[in-house]
Amino acid sequence: MSKLLLIDDEEGIRKVFSISLKSDGYDVATAASGQQGIDLFQQEFFPIVLTDIKMPGMDGIEVLRRVKEINPEVEVIVITGHGDMESAIQSLHLGASDFLTKPISNQLLSIALKRAEERLRTKKTLNKYANDLWNMVREQTEEIKRRYEFEDKLVQRSIDGIVATDKERNIIIFNSAAEEMFGYTENEVKGTMNAGDFYPEGITQKISDVFAGKDRKASDIFVGDEASVIAKSGKAVPVRFSCAMLYEGDKPIGSVGFFQDIREIKRLEKELIKSERLAAIGQTIAGLAHGIKNILNGLKGGVYIVNTALKKGAAGWSEEDKIDYSNTSALPLQSRFLKRAADITAERERQQKKMKTGWDMVERNIHKVADFVMDLLTYSKEREPEYEKYNPNIIADEVCDLMESKAKECDVDLIRDVDREMGEIYLDPKGIHSCLLNLVSNAIDACIFDSDTQKQWHVKVRTRCEKKSCVAFEVIDNGCGMDEETQSKIFAEFFSTKGGRGTGLGLLVTQKIVNEHGGTMDVASQPGKGTVFTIRLPGKKV
Amino acid sequence: MAKKVLIVDDDVDVRTFVSSVVEDIGYKPELAKDGEEGIGKVKKEKPDLVILDILMPKESGIKMYRALKTDSQFSDIPVIMHSGIAKRTFLRSQKALDEFGDQPVPEPEAYLEKPIEPEELGATIKKFLS
Repeated sequence: MSKLLLIDDEEGIRKVFSISLKSDGYDVATAASGQQGIDLFQQEFFPIVLTDIKMPGMDGIEVLRRVKEINPEVEVIVITGHGDMESAIQSLHLGASDFLTKPISNQLLSIALKRAEERLRTKKTLNKYANDLWNMVREQTEEIKRRYEFEDKLVQRSIDGIVATDKERNIIIFNSAAEEMFGYTENEVKGTMNAGDFYPEGITQKISDVFAGKDRKASDIFVGDEASVIAKSGKAVPVRFSCAMLYEGDKPIGSVGFFQDIREIKRLEKELIKSERLAAIGQTIAGLAHGIKNILNGLKGGVYIVNTALKKGAAGWSEEDKIDYSNTSALPLQSRFLKRAADITAERERQQKKMKTGWDMVERNIHKVADFVMDLLTYSKEREPEYEKYNPNIIADEVCDLMESKAKECDVDLIRDVDREMGEIYLDPKGIHSCLLNLVSNAIDACIFDSDTQKQWHVKVRTRCEKKSCVAFEVIDNGCGMDEETQSKIFAEFFSTKGGRGTGLGLLVTQKIVNEHGGTMDVASQPGKGTVFTIRLPGKKV
Repeated sequence: MAKKVLIVDDDVDVRTFVSSVVEDIGYKPELAKDGEEGIGKVKKEKPDLVILDILMPKESGIKMYRALKTDSQFSDIPVIMHSGIAKRTFLRSQKALDEFGDQPVPEPEAYLEKPIEPEELGATIKKFLS
């Protein structure tokens, strides 16, 4: 049952309306003056207030104002005198829901009330809707806030530095990893620095092109290049950088760069290089020591032979050689003397021969040490080839001439197979000469080391022009060949299969010279069948 | 007649040096530059002692050593191994070859690692020949 407050100064009207309203089902309270009505309304809420306008003291307009103040939800219906349109309009302005003009018929009154109740219901529903809507907005806002905070945490807690820009390339996000890495705070960076201060140069340009619409086809993700960023301290920080464009629909709205701190990786890399270098130095020293030791043994042997020969050859007449005149041997003194003199001369000659042998040995080993040192120098120094116009065939001929006697000595046929079409090209004749000499000498050794003595060994030196103005030297032997393990080691420092005779530097030096020429060296080998070494040089034609 | 010492080594420096030492202590050196030639010389010259290198072209010292020691005609000739290879490594290779089914072969009478001082070499040779 709806409650209703009726305010009217006329007792008759109050009585009549009360009866009629009660019969319509309203719970009616009455007040005889405006003030009394307000007092009642303050104590208790009435959804509908029915008030007369013309009242002594507080009039209906004031009542309307007051109750609306106390509770704007209230439906106020004012009762005006006949023809008092002005008050009616004023009250409608002030929020009255309806007005009734005296004399009031019951019918009009109940229509007005029904309408008021209808409005109340609508208002209630609207309120409910508004409430629901508000709750929804609040929930959504909270959800968005949660998500934003989550994403912000995600960005802030990332181990990688994250720097995001708007489309003017101003920095709008600079996470704590970036702060730590580059030494700037987010506040220092925002609004004062832009992408160009952190992104690698090329990338900044590409991004600008994408924003300018110049380069629509450009990949919008740039992945994983190593770069360095200048930190606040002025130091370069090594990073691995990736970058992605940010789009709204098709429109680029910004970019985000990810910076992976690789200082630690770089430090470890450095350490690794250092320890590798130390290991290499150790290996080099061991190899050097081995090479030198072998030569030193040769030198020592030579010196020993020379020394003993010197000692013995210097021996002349000794005490026992003194002629014992008391000895009356059958042999006349003179002839004994002459025999002894001849013996001493023969011994001296023998020792002189020996001295020559020893000295040859010393000389041979001095040559070895010189070659060894030259090889080491060639290997260790960066060297630019000294290019000259030269015919590769001449080098092949020179090398064959040099090796002819050694080949013969070892029962190896040295075969020349040069391409007569070959013209002059630019190359370093000295360098290539030593390469070819090394390969031919190795090839002859491979024949000597071959255990199949039934074979007629040969070493073939071939030159030929290849496509793309490339010159190839081939050294082909049918000697002992190499298994795969040996082949994999031949370019290692100080690796040698020749026992004490090899320094393990020859192929290394050869490969280095070839590489300095911009050429390549290939090897193909089969144990027991032989080996082919090929040097290919980019022939700059004259 | 002076006793004969066969020197088998592919390195001319080593041959010259060792033969000089052999001569100096009063024996007659015979030379061979690989195992194949070495076996030939053993048969021809019947040396009283063999000084044998291991790493050589054609036939290695390992092969020649086993050939000597498994031939009853020559197995009594003392052999001094003289090599840059450590003794341990050589003995291990011998053991492996023994196990491989070859006839077991005794250890060499002496083993000298290169480089060797002339005095020590001379003393070792004398030990077997005097």
